[in-house]
Amino acid sequence: MALIELKNVTKVFGGIVAVKNVSFSVEKDEIIGLIGPNGAGKTTIFNLITGVYDATEGKIIFQGRDITGENPVTIVKSGIARTFQNIRLFNKLSVLENIRTVLFRKADYNLANALLRTPKVVRIEKKLCDKSLEFLEVVGLTDYINNRADSLPYGLQRKLEIARALALEPKLLLLDEPAAGMNPDECLDLIELITRIKKEYNLTIIMIEHHMDVVMELCPRIVVINFGEKLMEGSKEEVQNDPRVLKAYLGEEYSYA
Amino acid sequence: MFLQTLVTGLSIGGVYALMAVGYSLVFSILNFSNFAHGTIIMLGAYVGYFIISNLKLGFTFSLVGAIIGAAILAVLNVKLAYTPLINRRASSLYLMITAMGVSIFLENMVYVTVGSHFYSFPEIFKQTSIKFFNSDISPLDLWALVFSFISIYGLHLFLTKTKLGTAIRAASYDMTIASLNGVNMSRLISVVFILAGSFAGLAGIFLGIKYMVYPTMGWITNKAYIAAVIGGLGSLPGAVIGGILLGVIETFVSVYISSTIRDVFSFSMVIIFLVFLPAGLMGRHLEEKV
Amino acid sequence: MDYILGVIAVICIETIATVGLAVFTGFTGLFSLGHAAFMAIGAYTAAILTYFYNAPFILALIAGMIMSGLISIILGFPTLRAKLRGDYFAIATLGFGEAIRVILENMSITQGARGLPGIKHYTTLPVAIFFAVLVLWLTKNFIWSKYGRNAIAVREDAVAAEMAGIDLFKVRMLSLIYSAMCAGLAGGLFAHYLNFIQPVMFTSILSTRLTSAVVAGGMGSITGPVIAVALFIAVPELLRVANMWRLVAYGLILVLIMIYRPSGIMGYHELSFEAIKNLLRWISRGKTAGRKEM
Repeated sequence: MALIELKNVTKVFGGIVAVKNVSFSVEKDEIIGLIGPNGAGKTTIFNLITGVYDATEGKIIFQGRDITGENPVTIVKSGIARTFQNIRLFNKLSVLENIRTVLFRKADYNLANALLRTPKVVRIEKKLCDKSLEFLEVVGLTDYINNRADSLPYGLQRKLEIARALALEPKLLLLDEPAAGMNPDECLDLIELITRIKKEYNLTIIMIEHHMDVVMELCPRIVVINFGEKLMEGSKEEVQNDPRVLKAYLGEEYSYA
Repeated sequence: MFLQTLVTGLSIGGVYALMAVGYSLVFSILNFSNFAHGTIIMLGAYVGYFIISNLKLGFTFSLVGAIIGAAILAVLNVKLAYTPLINRRASSLYLMITAMGVSIFLENMVYVTVGSHFYSFPEIFKQTSIKFFNSDISPLDLWALVFSFISIYGLHLFLTKTKLGTAIRAASYDMTIASLNGVNMSRLISVVFILAGSFAGLAGIFLGIKYMVYPTMGWITNKAYIAAVIGGLGSLPGAVIGGILLGVIETFVSVYISSTIRDVFSFSMVIIFLVFLPAGLMGRHLEEKV
Repeated sequence: MDYILGVIAVICIETIATVGLAVFTGFTGLFSLGHAAFMAIGAYTAAILTYFYNAPFILALIAGMIMSGLISIILGFPTLRAKLRGDYFAIATLGFGEAIRVILENMSITQGARGLPGIKHYTTLPVAIFFAVLVLWLTKNFIWSKYGRNAIAVREDAVAAEMAGIDLFKVRMLSLIYSAMCAGLAGGLFAHYLNFIQPVMFTSILSTRLTSAVVAGGMGSITGPVIAVALFIAVPELLRVANMWRLVAYGLILVLIMIYRPSGIMGYHELSFEAIKNLLRWISRGKTAGRKEM
């Protein structure tokens, strides 16, 4: 059974169809690429999966359960985490606190404990701190734990976002342009990181990406979106050799040249 | 009784609309709640009062003087207090707090310099009321209504028929795109504040004649933002409709229910509208982009 | 001497309200222009209990806090649920604050606009200091717990916080209740310090002052707002300026802070012994090393 399945999902914003009748499914342990020209509706699909928007029509099934229309918090709890195209960190918190914040579910003390800062709180906070360090270790940010998140260089901010998503212990990870703005060396580094975390945390990944070399390296299967619709779906070879994909990216005139 | 209430409500609503138009005009361009608008209205009333009773120059001069005075103050307000924040692209909340600061500063400045006396305008409109379908209409209310409609219609013509007006409307849709299209934003903002200030002066005169002139008369201008919220923040037709609606509803509430509940009712309207209809009756809803 | 002790007591009382509001505004990122209403609710609830029913002071204070907390839920439930834009929410709180004041002016048990005179003088200086220190300590603990971190996350990026499973409504509601209860406590203490309360003491000017102490002190700092409160109250008191001039200066200061130092006196930092040492070192170096982290 598929881990997640989109069935004829449509999203309309005030008369404008952003996503039209899109269906695809992702098996457990798979990593798929979601590609398409800018404005094709890829991020909207992520927003629909994570409950930021409610689908106008269609269904989203995650682990056999219909999550369409559920609120984002419930969806995160059920095991979906994401990163953002335009990095969204808790800027004025330190690198460590960025992770420790999202571990709040593991902090099983109540408000009274917190207000009085009982030994229990101190003990649990220490534990969360160690746990946060583990996730920072995975992405290689242990040297920066006390730096403010917005003081990090761009590439490291992307890694911190990935670490924060990992800390939510998801089953499905949605990466929105993780390689945006990275040079070839950093891209190689990122490919290594994604491969490693996928294995270590048994992740299923959907990745939006414009760097084709990154997509081709990581994703055996690719879904192509154009003008809000699914253009095609297939192995990377099939996608690379499909004239429709070339046309979508380069426009009408170039496609037959 | 019913007709009398309606007419009184309409005339109060006319003044509310005058106040709300200036407030909404600023909101439509800069997207922040200019709480200093009420203070400018108050200062406009003082200018008008000074001209008519100290300089003895008559109503026309008083009206024109109040309009010009308030417009100058509004421009000074934006240049000295808001422009540094606008240039820094500060959030609308910071502009709102600054406006609060300006309002507290100016209001208390009047307290310490002019004092807390209540000044009443000399009789301008005859006290005798006009009979209209068995109900009494005071000439003041009638004039307030007439001036409100003429000036608001004038503003409407300016915004739709002139080049500058079109630029203002364009900027109210999208400031970045308007400035990319060669609209001089700094000048445009000044024009908007001149307009808002003129309306403040006009509203100040009628408010002053109706309720006397004193430092905290700006409190009544709370009704301006309530009206603007009802009509839809930043929408000019909304400000007019919201103002008139608020005036009429308030009058009916105080006549048929109780006058003490009137203000509680109006302030609750703000919360109810913001929660259930944040775009008001005429506004457009803005959604945050993810 | 009594005079100075009186000023300190007022600073302590207003610190309680401001620190509570710092949780809501500074750490959770929502602006209120109506928190004077929560002070009023706390003040009237506590004062009515001790004045008409001879209730023990501490119970009256707790009742005032609870009443403020409950009424904050009435305000917060619809407005926070609707996820209003920041400035729309502030306008809603302004409407709320004015509505509460008008209600207090028209109730019989509050004796309307004339106010309640002859409230017993229970708030002595040690009492005020005790509660101020208590609230500071509780607030520090709150901010350093998961609750505080969640609040900061919501302030920094509400979308990212929600995508990390943080329930925006719950976090904002908790901060609102906390700040309302602090304001309620401050109100109760205030009533039993002045021995007289009147609805006109709790206008939007007081609300603005509370919010601007937080903004001027530094969003995301506990000690910054405390310093701001102390400066707002102590400087004009010590200079013995007439009340109206104070408000003139206060309006002006607010505008100047917004223009020249929008991050507030302390920015996102806390005043600690470490920070004071750094500051002294920075001053002694002749300010050549540039701005040091405080």
